Amino acid sequence: MKEQSIKVTNLVKKFGKGESEVHVIDNADFLVNKGELVALIAPSGAGKTTLLMMIGCVEEPTSGQIWLGDEKVYDNEWLTNETRKIRREKIGFIFQSHYLIPFLNIIENVTLVSQVNGVSKEESEREAMELLEYFDIADKAYEMSSSLSGGQNQRVAIARALANKPEIILADEPTAALDSERSVDVVKMLKRIAIDQNVAVIMVTHDEAMLPLCDRILKIEHKKIVST
Amino acid sequence: MINLAQRDVVHTFGKFIVTAMGVGMLLGIVLIMIGVYRGMIVDAEVLLDDLAVDVWIVQENTLGPFAEASRVHEDLKNSIRVIDGVDKTAALTFQNIQLPQGDKPVRVVAVGYDPYGEIEAINPKRLIEGRKIRRSHYEIVVSKEIGFKLHDSIKLGRNSYKVVGLTKGTVSSGGDPLVYITLKDAQELQFLYSNSRIRSDRARGIQTTNATMVNTIVATLKDGYSVDSVAQNIKRYKHNSVYTKDEQRDILTKNLIERASKQIGLFTGILVLVSTIIIALIIYTMTLEKMKEISIMKLIGIPNSVITKMIVQETLLLGFLAFIFGNVFSHLIYSKFPKRVVLEISDAWMLFLVVIIASIISSFVGVKKVISADPAAAIGG
Repeated sequence: MKEQSIKVTNLVKKFGKGESEVHVIDNADFLVNKGELVALIAPSGAGKTTLLMMIGCVEEPTSGQIWLGDEKVYDNEWLTNETRKIRREKIGFIFQSHYLIPFLNIIENVTLVSQVNGVSKEESEREAMELLEYFDIADKAYEMSSSLSGGQNQRVAIARALANKPEIILADEPTAALDSERSVDVVKMLKRIAIDQNVAVIMVTHDEAMLPLCDRILKIEHKKIVST
Repeated sequence: MINLAQRDVVHTFGKFIVTAMGVGMLLGIVLIMIGVYRGMIVDAEVLLDDLAVDVWIVQENTLGPFAEASRVHEDLKNSIRVIDGVDKTAALTFQNIQLPQGDKPVRVVAVGYDPYGEIEAINPKRLIEGRKIRRSHYEIVVSKEIGFKLHDSIKLGRNSYKVVGLTKGTVSSGGDPLVYITLKDAQELQFLYSNSRIRSDRARGIQTTNATMVNTIVATLKDGYSVDSVAQNIKRYKHNSVYTKDEQRDILTKNLIERASKQIGLFTGILVLVSTIIIALIIYTMTLEKMKEISIMKLIGIPNSVITKMIVQETLLLGFLAFIFGNVFSHLIYSKFPKRVVLEISDAWMLFLVVIIASIISSFVGVKKVISADPAAAIGG
């Protein structure tokens, strides 16, 4: 029995009002289970990032319902004032570029969120080192991101996304800045994480070569979500 | 918990230090300005304290001899001396003159006093070389700052004067160096015209100027007498204006340098305001440079309190370092100023308080930017 991680029903997102109103997402319904790597594809401007931001409790939908794990977080309005706490505790983010904090070293980048969550420095660093070893970059733990390659930095960014033991990982074109070989590595890594860590991963991508590596594809077509 | 401010400052250490040095120089100028004001007060009181007299008798209805021109008869000192309570008296002149020194003349104030009189005008503690005036004519004691040496000859008016002593730190209320000459020489310099002028005046039927005038009579009192009551007696019977030492100090520090102190105070206030604006602009720029990171931090769930703490700590550190640099800077350059600059610890602490308050106010600019940062800006490249 697969466990539900993300559930979205009747999700609607409109921008603007009156004549300038733009309908981006219309009655989206989909489910992503734990352990799944799901690709989200659509043409540019179709609303992939907007959908990701709504699931990530960053952008408020116009209407609909969102469940993250067992917790219903949105029902035509946010059900909590602390959406940032939900992000910190339940969600890991990966971006097009690594977007590591440049003035923190690698291990500090990875431990920042867990330390804010109240985990002790020693415990968070021990867990971070395990993650860095998992991604084979433990030897870079005390270096600055500026001294690492793009691929290494992206692995650190993934380690950071996992450091708070999230239930969900939202990856916004994580391979956009990488060559095809490293892109495959990163997607395989996300797949491995989904299984090993039992988390749901939604990955926005334009790269069709990555799709066979994913469990499922969610496609935005005419403002609706189509699952294949 | 990771200290974000410390990590950010270490990451941009050179830039941060140079910025703090820049603001520090501005704060250093603020300290110097306050020091100039303090110096003016100290300068104003040098002559007053060196003479250490109890009452100053000047021309009626004037604030002489420093704030207004004053002329009284020299022999007034004799009639003052016999007033009950008066111990010693002396006649003094004060005159701005230009001493020839190298290419440029030096503006000084000449104090004329009677070297055989009851009151010694030169504070022995300030005499660092040579001796006091012993002859009735053509000897001069000069402030070392002017640049003359012992036995130098200085041409003044019709005569040459021999430098017999050097003093240190002797300045007038305006900050000009003091020179001391005998009363007779001073009267000649001040009240005697050149021969051609005297001839010209005589042809016009003008009487020769009386050269026995002085600018003030000073007096010390016997023990047990009230300064105020003696001053009242002199005022009543001699038809002169009389000021006690404290009143003369008030005239010097209030009437004479009040406008200057207001000017400096306003200038200092503007500099502090400019410093605050500059700190605020620097913090705003520093925050703007970090907006992407701030958006990412907000997106991954870092609370505003953690991010704003970073901004406030950086601002306070900037203010603190600028204050330190400002102090170092002001102490390095204050002695280069031509007039006295007095740097006092109490002023530095006051400035520290102002800088910390200014830094806290400045940090609001950055904090406001942090609060308004959109976490969604981190997504979508």
